Amino acid sequence: MQKSTNPFLLINCFWLLVLVSCSSVSKNYTPKELDQTKIEVPYFANSKNDYVYKTNISVYGHEMSGIFIAKKINYTTHRVVFTTEFGNKLLDFEISENDFKIHSIVSELDRKILINTLKEDFRLLLKQDFKIEQAFENENFIIYKSADGNQDNYLFLTKKESKLEKIIRASHTKEKITITFTSENDSFAQKVVILHQNIKLKIELNYFKSE
Amino acid sequence: MRTKLFLFFFILIGLNVSAQEQKMTEAEISTFKQQVNVVSKKIKTLSTDFVQYKHLDFLSKDIETSGKMYFKEPALLSWQYKKPYNYSIVFKNGKILINDEGKKSAVDIGNSKIFARINKLIVGSVSGNMFDDAAFTISYFKLKGKNLAKFIPKEATLKKYIKQIELTFDKEDASVVQVKLLESSEDYTRIVLKNKVINAKIDESVFTN
Repeated sequence: MQKSTNPFLLINCFWLLVLVSCSSVSKNYTPKELDQTKIEVPYFANSKNDYVYKTNISVYGHEMSGIFIAKKINYTTHRVVFTTEFGNKLLDFEISENDFKIHSIVSELDRKILINTLKEDFRLLLKQDFKIEQAFENENFIIYKSADGNQDNYLFLTKKESKLEKIIRASHTKEKITITFTSENDSFAQKVVILHQNIKLKIELNYFKSE
Repeated sequence: MRTKLFLFFFILIGLNVSAQEQKMTEAEISTFKQQVNVVSKKIKTLSTDFVQYKHLDFLSKDIETSGKMYFKEPALLSWQYKKPYNYSIVFKNGKILINDEGKKSAVDIGNSKIFARINKLIVGSVSGNMFDDAAFTISYFKLKGKNLAKFIPKEATLKKYIKQIELTFDKEDASVVQVKLLESSEDYTRIVLKNKVINAKIDESVFTN
């Protein structure tokens, strides 16, 4: 009898573990009543703006720099270009929720794993609205949870100004990507940092004004 | 990886399109080339201000950056972006030295043939002495107060990144006033050179990054 219950105990323990770790991001926060079902992100949403940032990329100890350029070209799609400081294009693509089209890429960057990583990062960065299922809070933020396939996105809005400061993308067990925004007003980000937790990749964007 | 990325830029510098281009005659080409060669041969040092305009067709305006460029014979070269950010790159003794807002790095490129080639291309672009380069098909035009040389790469590898380089020369002093690099028919980088100073003493510190 003792023997036959053991496997069940094990399975139960396993599920307990899964359930506990399930809320890897939200576990530190207090559940809150949902006050909105959709959040719009303003930072790259104005089709009149050219979004031009100096960018520094650190990947497994290697440093790269250049210019990141993004522009909303229609209701669903952004055009994104990376160039060196000297202006030559390294990567040029169009991205929307469902589509991804490369216009040009230098052979050194033409690696499937790299392209897929950048695609996930920039789809999240440029995503214009998030459907919200759950809300949490802590001292300074209201945290909104949005399901995205088999992952979840958590949006951190300040209680004070309702300004989006952070997005965490996580699987059920661990955090994967953190995007932080530094914004003086709530429509535009001066600085953006995309940090990966599972690989050593950090992308930093600093807005610059052309003269 | 960084090295290679940089190389790309360097492979690119310049092109110019104008409404009133007129093809030079053989005699005019010969006179023009000779004039430029005389001027560029005299160059021991060169410093110039530059403004770079990156044109991407989908943007509402060009991305403008600016700074100073220094060259010293035989192969010291420094590009310094000052606005809107500080970023400089020095070519020195087979090395590329980068200073990105104070963050320094160096890339050893050794005796790389491609480096030698790129260096030649940049120096050639700025001094104008690129006419002997067999890697390009060159054509010559006259404009109002200016001369224009168009360089089309012959090699497929270079062609992938540069459709055409255009150097615009002042008609009076035969010096390069604009370098334009066409990536495609819509997208290009245009660098305007001004306040050029030839053979003045250049402080060595501009080549230490």
